[in-house]
Amino acid sequence: MELGLGRRFACRRRMLGMKNPNIIAFFTFVCLISNHSVAQEATTFNDLVAQATAAAEQNDAPRAVALYTKALEINPNWAQGWWYLGSLQYDAGQYAPARDALTRFIEFSRGSGPAYALRGMCEVETGEYADALADIRRGIVHGGADDERNEQTLHFYEGLVLTRLGRFDEALQSYRFFAQRKITNPEVFLAIGLAGLRMTLLAKDATNDQRALVAAAGTAAYQFFSGDEKSAVAAFNDLFQRFPTAANTHYLYGWLWYPSQRDAALEEFQHELKLNPSNENARVMVAWTLLMRNDPSDALPVAQQAEETQPELASAQLVLGRSLWESGRLNDGIGHLKRALQLQPDNLEVHIALAAAYSRSGRTEDARRERAWCLEATNDGRMRIALP
Amino acid sequence: MRCLSVFSMALACVVMAELSPAQTSPSPGSACAGCHRAETAHQAETPMGRASSLAGDNPTLERHPKLSLQNGNFTYTIETHGSKSFYTVSDGTQSVSVPVRWAIGERMQTWVLERNGHYYESRVSYYPVISGLQITVGQEVLNPTTVEEGLGRELNHGEVTNCFGCHATGAVVNGQLILSQTQPGVTCEHCHSGSSGHLLDTFQGFFDSPPRNLKELSSEEVSSFCGQCHRTWETVIRNGIRGVLNVRFQPYRLENSRCFDGNDPRISCIACHDPHQSLVREDASYDSKCLACHATSAAGTSVTQHAKAKSCPVAKAGCTGCHMPKVKVNTPAGLITFTDHDIRMAKPGDPYPN
Repeated sequence: MELGLGRRFACRRRMLGMKNPNIIAFFTFVCLISNHSVAQEATTFNDLVAQATAAAEQNDAPRAVALYTKALEINPNWAQGWWYLGSLQYDAGQYAPARDALTRFIEFSRGSGPAYALRGMCEVETGEYADALADIRRGIVHGGADDERNEQTLHFYEGLVLTRLGRFDEALQSYRFFAQRKITNPEVFLAIGLAGLRMTLLAKDATNDQRALVAAAGTAAYQFFSGDEKSAVAAFNDLFQRFPTAANTHYLYGWLWYPSQRDAALEEFQHELKLNPSNENARVMVAWTLLMRNDPSDALPVAQQAEETQPELASAQLVLGRSLWESGRLNDGIGHLKRALQLQPDNLEVHIALAAAYSRSGRTEDARRERAWCLEATNDGRMRIALP
Repeated sequence: MRCLSVFSMALACVVMAELSPAQTSPSPGSACAGCHRAETAHQAETPMGRASSLAGDNPTLERHPKLSLQNGNFTYTIETHGSKSFYTVSDGTQSVSVPVRWAIGERMQTWVLERNGHYYESRVSYYPVISGLQITVGQEVLNPTTVEEGLGRELNHGEVTNCFGCHATGAVVNGQLILSQTQPGVTCEHCHSGSSGHLLDTFQGFFDSPPRNLKELSSEEVSSFCGQCHRTWETVIRNGIRGVLNVRFQPYRLENSRCFDGNDPRISCIACHDPHQSLVREDASYDSKCLACHATSAAGTSVTQHAKAKSCPVAKAGCTGCHMPKVKVNTPAGLITFTDHDIRMAKPGDPYPN
C-alpha cells in the first residue's frame, strides 16, 4: 500500500529495549565489525546477531532479515530478535512473516504497545481487518501512540480498518483527530471521504472516478470537523452540484449536522432517501432523528419499513425496538432490542435503550446490568454521538 | 365545577387583556392562574421560573449596579443604569461594550451577549458565593488575546438553541431560535406543551384539550422528561461526563441509584420535588419520601406493594444527610455544593462513584 503515513511508524528500535546499556554497548561493538558474507563467518549466534545488526544499520534489509532469521533458528528465545526481524520484514513488505515474527515477540513481551501496533499494521496489509483493529487499539492503549507521529499513524490506520470493516461512524470519529489538530494530507481527505460515503474500500482500491468524489466529500467533511462551518457548507454545496446523485453524500452531510442541528440533519437524511430509496441506513437515521426529537409515533412507521426491508441490520432493529417501547409497546420493543443485541453485542445505543426499557418495565436488575455495561463501556470519557 | 370554570375563564380573560401588546402569545404563567392557581402561585419565583431574565428585570444586576473583575490583561465591567446593563471588556487602550439582554441562571448568572449577529457566552459570570464576578466555568482554559475575544466564547447555533431551549420558553420553534417571542424563564408552556392552545380553547368554552398530564409518566419517563434540561442518563453516558462534575445532572445520578425503579412512582424527580414550588432545602422534609419505601413493618421490611426495601438500622430521620451526600464542585469562584442524587450507602472516604 502506498501510504506515506504507513511508513511513519517511527523509531521502532528506540521504542524497544535500547534503554538497556548492555544492549547499546553491544550494538556499538557490532557496528565496528566488518561486513562479511553470511556463509563464510556467521557460524555462531553472536556472530549472526552482530552481522545482522550491521546489515540493518547499512539498510541492507534482505541480508539483515536472513541473518536475524538464522540467529533466531539458533536461539528462538531471543525476544528482541523477533522484534528486529518483524520490523525489518514490515519495512520490506513481507507482511505475513512480519506478523508472525511480531507474534513471537509479543509472547515474550505482552505489554508492548509498539509491537501490537506494528502487528496491526501488518494485519491491515494481509487483510485481517478485525485482528488489525484489535491490535491497533491494543497498541494505542499500551503506549504505542505516545509519540506524535505514531499517534497520527495509528489513528489513521484505526480509521482505515474501521472503514474496511464497515464501521463508518467510528471511522469518522477516529479521523476527527486530524481535523482537530489541523493536519492536512490528501490521504486523510481520501480516507475521510471513503468512511463518509460508506465505501468499504481502501484508497488504493478506488477507481479514478471514485477518487474525485471521495476526495471532494472527504475535504468537505474535514472542513466541517475543523469547525469551519462556512467553508464546509460551500464545499458540500459544491459536492452536491458536481455529484448530484452520488450515494451517501447527503447522508454524510446529515451525519455531520446531527449533533448540533437535528432538523437540518433530518432534512439531509430524507434527501438521501429520496435520491436512494433503498438506502436503509438513511431510513434508519430518519427514524432515529425523529426518536431523538421525542417523536416516536412518527419514527415508528419509518423504523418498521427499515426493519422489514433489512432485518439483519442491527440499527434497524434498534430504532424499531426503541420506537415501539417509546410508543407504549414495551415488550415488543424489548424483543427487537434483544435481536439488535444479538446482531451487534457491543452497540452502546442498544444497551442504553435496553436499560431504559427494562427500567420502564420494572425489570430493575436487568436495567441495572445494562447500565453497568454502559458505564463500563464509556469509562474512557470519550464523547459518543447518539447514533444507532 | 362548571361555575368555577366559567369564573376562572373570565378571570383568565381579564389577565389576557392586561397583557402587553408584545406578549400577543399568551403568557400562560399568568393566564393559566385562572384555573391552576396552586400550580402557578409561586412558579414564577422558583429557580426554574427564573432560569433566565431580561435586562430590566434582573435583581442581581439591580443589587450590583457595578460589577468588575481584572483578569489577565483585561478588565471586565458590568454596569447597570435603570433598565439597561452594559458588559464592557477593556485592555487599557481598547474596549468593547455590548448591552446585556439575557441573563442565564437565577443565582449564579452568565450572560448571553450578541455582537454583529453572533452570540457569546460571557467570559465572566456572577457567583453568589463571592458576590462578584469570576471567569465562567469552562472558560478557564481559554486565553483571550483581544478585547473581542474577551467578550466570551462564541456559541454555535446548536449551543444557543440548547441554552435558550432550557432557560427560556418559546425560544426554539421548529429548530429555529426566535428570541423576539421568547419568554424568560421556564413557564407553563415549556413543560406543558400545548397549554397555550388549551388556554385559547378555554376562551371559546372548550375544556377538552388539556396538555398531556405529566403525572401519568412513569419514573423512567419523568427522568427523561426532566433530563431534557437537567441531562438524561443517556446524555451523560454519551458525552462521557465522569467525575464530580456530573453531580449537577440529577436524573443521571438518580438512575444510577440502587433503589431506582423506572416503574415505581415513589422514586422519581417529582416524587420529591414539586416543580411549581421553590426548592425545599431542609433535609428533614424529604424523610417522608424515603420512608414511603423504607418504612418498616414488624418484620423489618417495607409493607408497600412495590419492591421490598430494607429499613435503615441507623436512623429514621435525616435520610438524605447520609444517603445523598453533599459534593463540592470546584469553580473559578471556589467550591460550590451540590446534593448527590445517587442514593446509596455512602461512607466517609468512599470515592465518588461514576
